[in-house]
Amino acid sequence: MDPITFSIIRHRLFRVVEEAVMTLKHVSGSAITNEGHDLMVSLYRADGSLLMGGVGFLHHLTSAAEACKAIIRRFDGQIHEGDLFLLNDPYTAALHTSDIYLIAPIHYQGRLVAWSACFVHVFDIGAMNPGGFAPDAVDIFTEGFSSPGLKLIDRGEMRQDVWDTILNMVRGPEMVALDLRSMIACNNVAGERLIALFEKYGAEIVDDACRMLIEQSEQRLRERLRELPDGQWQSRQYLEVKGETYRVVLTMRKQGDELVFDFTGSSPQSKYSVNCSKWASLGGLFAPLFPLLCYDITWNEGVIRPVRMIAPEGSIVNCARPAPVSVATVGAIQSVNNAACATIGKMLAASERYAEESTAVWHANHFAIFMFGTNQRGGLSIGILTETFAGAGGARHVGDGVDIGGEIPNPISRMANVETIEATFPVRYLFRRRLKDSGGPGRHRGGTGGEMMIVAHDAPDGGIDYVVSGKGTKFPQSDGLAGGYPGALNDYVWIHADESDATAFAGSLADMKGRHEPISWGVYPLRGKDGLYVRWNGGGGLGDPLDRPAEQVVNDVTAGAISTRAAEEVYGVAFKDGVLDPTLTEARRRDLKARRLQEVA
Amino acid sequence: MARRRFSDTLILADGKICCGACERPLAAADRSWKEQAALTVVPVASLPGAGLGTDSRIVLRRFACSGCGSLLETEVALPEDPFLEDRIVVAG
Repeated sequence: MDPITFSIIRHRLFRVVEEAVMTLKHVSGSAITNEGHDLMVSLYRADGSLLMGGVGFLHHLTSAAEACKAIIRRFDGQIHEGDLFLLNDPYTAALHTSDIYLIAPIHYQGRLVAWSACFVHVFDIGAMNPGGFAPDAVDIFTEGFSSPGLKLIDRGEMRQDVWDTILNMVRGPEMVALDLRSMIACNNVAGERLIALFEKYGAEIVDDACRMLIEQSEQRLRERLRELPDGQWQSRQYLEVKGETYRVVLTMRKQGDELVFDFTGSSPQSKYSVNCSKWASLGGLFAPLFPLLCYDITWNEGVIRPVRMIAPEGSIVNCARPAPVSVATVGAIQSVNNAACATIGKMLAASERYAEESTAVWHANHFAIFMFGTNQRGGLSIGILTETFAGAGGARHVGDGVDIGGEIPNPISRMANVETIEATFPVRYLFRRRLKDSGGPGRHRGGTGGEMMIVAHDAPDGGIDYVVSGKGTKFPQSDGLAGGYPGALNDYVWIHADESDATAFAGSLADMKGRHEPISWGVYPLRGKDGLYVRWNGGGGLGDPLDRPAEQVVNDVTAGAISTRAAEEVYGVAFKDGVLDPTLTEARRRDLKARRLQEVA
Repeated sequence: MARRRFSDTLILADGKICCGACERPLAAADRSWKEQAALTVVPVASLPGAGLGTDSRIVLRRFACSGCGSLLETEVALPEDPFLEDRIVVAG
């Protein structure tokens, strides 16, 4: 095939995915989808192998491929033009029940030629707790509707009995219906555009280009791996739920042109819903691998072939049915993300050629707060605080992490405007801003996270309730690299306000009068004059903080990114009358280095 | 002297892992360099920016060159957990 035709088809495939994403966003009415971009669209070959991974949450790319294959196995001989399938069982392929996959076969001239697949986190899935994340769940049976595969549309006709059954099992069925219809529209657009491509170039040429694209990705990743040093790199993540501590332990081994992610040593599965199934772990390790190792390689089956995962059965990274998994995407999956990001970062840093691509761990912990209750218009609102997607960039070899700069597993994540949240829920923001001292110190500083506080406002029921399935309040998770410090931790604080009005315009947590109760797991009220304070983690730092130019440290203090205490104690910068003193700074840095020599491991 | 990167802060030179700043040898390439590094341990709860709920047991291990004091690596750990070990395979 001539290279120009190949390139045109490759770019067209990417554009098909992009247009399908736009469709998904435009039809959906959920903030989590069209504001937070908790979505994914991708294309698959006729056998279900990943052809063109799209944007959105990348840990879905491999899971949706397995979902396609599961549908092919289950419906062998019953897959027709115009069909559409649904799958959301985490033990078959999905990550958790509320991330529903809708999967459509694409036929050309009567022959199955490809699949499109997409997901959104639906408004509700009928789990014990509204919104899908279910900290009260004790097993998969209490985590809502779950299907290992069903046919939702048969030859272009909606199966009304199936549709009604699903909507009969969820809260806010009209919103779930909109979520499902947005995915149907998305798949329709992907199918139409792909068929147009087949019509223009013919089935044989497009199929050849798809096969070559996968071969090219495999070849290019294997070449890259051969350029990187052979070795092993380790990482460890801690999770805490209700006093119990879990570990995700990773040893990544690279030999020749193959990469093995070995999670041996990770904790046994939890009784809480932070577990992930093996498909979730596989997706979790690929989420940072795609952007960090394959930033110039098409994300498809070819990237998957050189990579192998070892995940002990019955562990927190490969739990056994019926263990609960509804919090997986912000639980163990994210720890797998972080661990893989850390080891890949260290491997890149060991390479002369690729060191400048290395990065500390980015925003490492979602806080996943779902609010639910009667809104100011008398209707039901369920939805996530999208600040969880705001993220924080990890420091890079070439510079600081970006403040509130997103996250590795989702290159297009973002948060909604304050006004959007206030229009959706009966709440009022007291503040939302960058969080001082949250970016991990280093020669290059990790990007800051943020902090916010809300109170109930104009609520017919006096307030609303919210589900917290947070972790990351006990242990830092945004690891630093090469001497960089980790990013700061999350906090969730329920402020039991006193009866005065002095807190109505509080400008900080300290200003908020009343009893402050740290929380992290369960269902809580936001009523009366009470407040909810949330802070989210920053990115990890890179390099020795004492090597950061003093002028940059001063700029950080001036900008409010770090405190004077951090400047003095961690960065070794000295001020005299509020102004940088270079001589004292040099002396202090010498002294801090000397203190490091007091003890040998 | 044959040199190559081991990490952003360490080099491999003549079969030894050395500080990248002062080139002080720390360990043979197949041994743990961290055992020979200067280690200071700081409770994460004592660092600027620590949260309200930070676990009192969790520490930041800071491994520095025992010669020049350059910070080589950090790791977050509970006290009972071993050092994380990274290895580069040296040909031959």
